[in-house]
This record gives sequence, structure tokens and C-alpha cells, in this order.
Amino acid sequence: MNGVKKQSFQFQLGRSDALRSSIKQVYIYVVLVLIVFVFSVMKLDQVEMFGRGHFLSPDSVINLLRSAVPILTLSGAFTLLMISGYIDLSVGSAMSLSAVVYALMILNGFSFWPALLITLILGVIMGSVNAYLVMNLRITPVIATLVTLSLFKGIALLIVPDGLSAIKGSPDKAMPGWINDYARKEVLFGLPAAFWVAVLVIVAMVIIQRKTILGKYAAAIGGNRIAADLSGISAVKIVWILYILVGLFAAMAGMARASYMSLGDPLSGDGMELDCIIAVLLGGTAFSGGEGSVAKTVIGSLIIICVTIGLMTVIPAYWQVAAKGSVLLIAVVLNHLLVRDTASA
Amino acid sequence: MATNQMQKPAAGVRLSDESFITVFMVGILVLVFALASLFVPNFSTAKNIFNLVTNNWFVIVLGVGVTLVLITGNFDMSVGGNIALTGVLSVYFVQGVNVSQNTLANGLGLPYVVAIGLALLCAVGVGAINAFFIAKLKVPSIIVTLGTMMLARGAAKVITQGAQRNTSLPDIFGWLGSLSIPGTSIRLPVLVMISLIILAYIFEKKTVFARRIYLIGANPEAARLSGINVAKYLTALYLVSGLLAGITGILLASEYKAGVSSRAMGYEFDALVIALLGGVSINGGFGSVLGMFVGAIILSVVTSAATGLLLSPDWQFTLKAIVTFIAILSQRYALDRRKA
Repeated sequence: MNGVKKQSFQFQLGRSDALRSSIKQVYIYVVLVLIVFVFSVMKLDQVEMFGRGHFLSPDSVINLLRSAVPILTLSGAFTLLMISGYIDLSVGSAMSLSAVVYALMILNGFSFWPALLITLILGVIMGSVNAYLVMNLRITPVIATLVTLSLFKGIALLIVPDGLSAIKGSPDKAMPGWINDYARKEVLFGLPAAFWVAVLVIVAMVIIQRKTILGKYAAAIGGNRIAADLSGISAVKIVWILYILVGLFAAMAGMARASYMSLGDPLSGDGMELDCIIAVLLGGTAFSGGEGSVAKTVIGSLIIICVTIGLMTVIPAYWQVAAKGSVLLIAVVLNHLLVRDTASA
Repeated sequence: MATNQMQKPAAGVRLSDESFITVFMVGILVLVFALASLFVPNFSTAKNIFNLVTNNWFVIVLGVGVTLVLITGNFDMSVGGNIALTGVLSVYFVQGVNVSQNTLANGLGLPYVVAIGLALLCAVGVGAINAFFIAKLKVPSIIVTLGTMMLARGAAKVITQGAQRNTSLPDIFGWLGSLSIPGTSIRLPVLVMISLIILAYIFEKKTVFARRIYLIGANPEAARLSGINVAKYLTALYLVSGLLAGITGILLASEYKAGVSSRAMGYEFDALVIALLGGVSINGGFGSVLGMFVGAIILSVVTSAATGLLLSPDWQFTLKAIVTFIAILSQRYALDRRKA
């Protein structure tokens, strides 16, 4: 929103700031292109360009976009929350709990729409719990959401019957086959409904951030909470809405994950909070809030998915954790170099 | 002078807020323990009480570092990963060179003392990475330490290829973990825990360094303006926290005679929970290591009572969450009442 204003302000400050500002505008796209390029030229001796097994083959791109559905659904709302200076570390567990509840309902004969509705209501409740703890009881966001992380995960584990690792079909009670339809069945261009829903969510979030009061107030609260309060913005109300949005989309992401895997895994969302944080930081949102862009978070999400999927084909699975940790620290450094000074300017 | 403003004993009779919360939590501990003894058979036996205090030595050792960091208003979530890394490294360093076809059985063949030294150095190194990002670059500690947690655990996974290393270890490797006071069942790790608590208590009450940590937590800006080098203090604390995690990792690896890459999953959360249970607040440079110790025993009573009541282990996450919320809210209520 104030990107243009801030940018023109930057130009007056001198060349190095102008340079930094323009680097900040484009670097994330360059990073994405670079990563895609690296994975495309890797293994070219074994597979042909765009052929079967190549990183950019149609199959692989579709697979990549399908696995990106949860983070794409969630990261927009997560960005808005971080712009307002708050954080939700419970999103991964909220996803898992929604996945378990959704799978449980489908297994017990619910049809699609009621199950979807109840899952989304669950998401709103989880978001409200976080909002209540943070805004009304004034528990530090990190602590409050770390504890709800444990709470939601615990409930998800409790719902899954003893001796089973997930809610899934059994010989006497089969999981209906249509549970897959939402996240796997082609709708348009070989991509499932879940992907197009995620795209709609992103578009909505970009519009909310750039064109609506909610987005502007979120930035105002993150920029200076006291000033926002004094100018009559109800921070409590705005942040409540943001937490509810995050909970809602976490539930939606969890449901997409359950549909994709056709089971409700109580650990399926583990680590999602870190993926979201990486995406948000790569997208140049300031740590302390006040400034950021949903659109760039989406690019950041694509970078994570490319790295995750791309690395999976190149190095053994046990490298994943270290790789992701390094990406996070690199994102922190990039973010520090490009964002911090402009945020304080 | 500024260092003392946080807890000024008014008339000598009145307890400081920190002691008040510790006493308050001891009261809760007695209550929880009494309830558990009523409902769980054989709960209040001497042996069980001893186990309640000593079984969680690793979380308490971590808790010392985490509490001190938390008092400055920062987090250290990297301790769990750090334990895994140090344990795995201590094994990797002592394993024989080229003893087997299996790569997981081959190590560097260093003497045990050197191996421990190097592993501890790596643990402190993780702390140093934390300190660099947090104190120098001013990045929020939660993000950095979650990153180093993944980095440390990831490195442990890479070294063990996602599993564990437990073969071709020299006999001396298990010595530290099984060492105990002759004739008693008090093992070395427990002694480490007790001496750390005592040291930390003296440190906290008697040194200027510690009082400045409280000031940093209460108001970092005021601390900076009164001439305290905040970065130096944060760096020292993160190094200490890394070192304690390293010691824990080495002792655990020695006890199990294995370096397991998935060791200590979630310990960072447990350490945070016991600190919160013990009344440490990240808002105002408030809390004490003694309180953390009481918190640890409360958590251990609650979880073992839950196990005694035959609740499935799946209950632990929910239980910890509920207990933490109750603790945070009741402590705030108690403090508010006291001030009113």
C-alpha cells in the first residue's frame, strides 16, 4: 500500500538506498527463477529437457503445484497477520487437527459440503482461541500460539484411535473414494479444485491487503500499535479478524491435505509454521510488522516448494531438515539486508 | 542502582515477587501432589518421589539456560536439536576409522576426551550462531532459534543418515552416563542437575551480571542507555544455553550408548513449559531458576499422574498445554491481587 510512497521517499535518500530498494523489488523473482533454473539443468544427462522426470515436465509441474496447495492457501492470511506484528505458530497443528476431523467425518458418512462447513467452523474456533489468548488475555503471541500448537496437536492425536497412526479406511469401514476429488481430480489445466481455490484465496488476500481498510489497518498496527490505537483503529478487533482468517485458511489447508492423502494424519501439518515464516521472510515482510506483501509471500511459498521438491530428487531425504533450516537462516539474512533499514526509514 | 529496582524488599518481611511466585507454585505443587497421591496408587512412595525429581534431569538442565535466556525476553528453541547434534557428534568422533563396510559404523577414531571437547565446541557453536543473529542482526529470537533447531537436527540426521550410530564404540563411551555415587542410585546427570541449580541460584542472586540480565528483560532500551552492552550479555547467555544443551546431549548419548538423530524431540518446548510453570515471564525480566525447578517437578507430577491414571501417552500434548495456560493465568491473577 505505501510501497509507492516509500519508494519515492527512498529515491530522495540517495543512490545506495535507491539501489537497495530496486533490489528489494525484484530479488525474490530472481531467486525463484534461479532455483528453477538450477533444478532444470541438474540431471540433464539423465533426462531430456521437459521430458519425463525432468523438473519442468508437465507432470512434475502439476505435482509441484498440487503439493503447494496448503501453503498457498495459508500463507496469504499468515502474511497479513505478520504485517500486523503478530504471529501464529499453531498453524501446522491447526492444519493437522482439521485434517483429522475432516477425514473422520468423511469416514463416518458425511457428504462433502457439511464436512467442509464443519471443518471451516473448526478453523474459525481455533483462530478465535488464539485471538482470545493473545488479545484478551494478553499472553505474548509466541507463547500463546506455541501452547495452542501443543493443544491442537494433542487433540488431533487423541481423536485418532489408539494403535492407529491416522484416521484412514479399514477393511470393515472403507474411506469413500471421493475424498480425493477435491485435491486430486482435474478440473482445469490438469489441476484440481483445491488449487484453484487456493488461487482464489490468494487473489482475495492480495486485494484485502492492497485495497481494503483491513489491510491498511493491519500495516498501521504493525507499524506503530500506539499510534494506531490513538487514531481510532480498534487493534483488538482487527487482529481478532486476522487470527480468525489464519485459523480458517489453516483448516482449509488441512482439509486439502486430508483430501490429497485420503487420510487424516495428526502430524500432517508439522512444520507448516516454519514454511510460512520462511515464505513471509523471503517475501520481504518486516519481522516487526508494518510492511509487507502478500503477493511476494506467494513467490516465497513457490520457492520453498521448489526447493523441497527439487531437493527430494537430488539428495537423500535425511538432508531435508538441514536444507530447510539453512533456507530459513538464508531468508533471515536476505530479509535483514534488504528490509530492516527501509522499515526504520 | 538500576540493577536493584526490579525487586526491592520493602520491609524485609515482604517477599520479592519472584520468591512469592516460587512459593505460590510450591503451594500448587503440594496441591497437585496431594491430589495425585489420592487417586494414583503408590504415588507418594519415597522411590517415586525420588524418580519424579530426578527422571527429568535433562529438561531441568536445559531449563537453566532457557530460563536465563527467557528472563532477557528471548527464546532458545534450538536446545532439542542441539542435544541430538552433540550426542550424534560425540558418537561419530569416537567411532573407529574404517572398521566396517557400514558407513554408520565408521567414525573419526578420536580419543573420548577430545571427542567430548569437540562436540561441546559444536554445541557452543550453535549457541554462537543464535547469538550472532539475535544480538548482532537483531532478528527475533524465535525465528532464529527455530532455524538453528532445524539446522542442528538436520546435521544430526545427515551424520546418521536419518537413523542412529551405535556400533564400534569404545567401552569408555558409556562411562559418563552410568557413573553414580557408590552405594546410591544418584547418577552423574542428577549431580550435574543439582549443582547447576545451586550455581544458577547463587549466580542469579549474587552477581551483578545476573541483575543486569533482569534489567535487559525488563527494559532493553533503558538497559542500553544505562551503559549495559546488551549484545554481550545475550551472547554469553546463548553460549551458556548451547553449552548446557551440549552437556545434556553427551550425557544422554553416553547413557544410551548411541547417537540418535531423533533424540530430544520437543525438549525445547518442555524446557519452555517448565520455565513458564515456574513463573518466568518474558514480558518483564522476571523469574528465577528455582521457580523453574518447581515448575519442572509440577510438570513431572502431572504427567506421571496422568500415566498412572492410565491415560494414553497421546494425552501429554493436551495436558502440557492446559497446565501451562492455567499456570500463566493463575500466576498473573496472584500477582495482580498482590499488587492491588
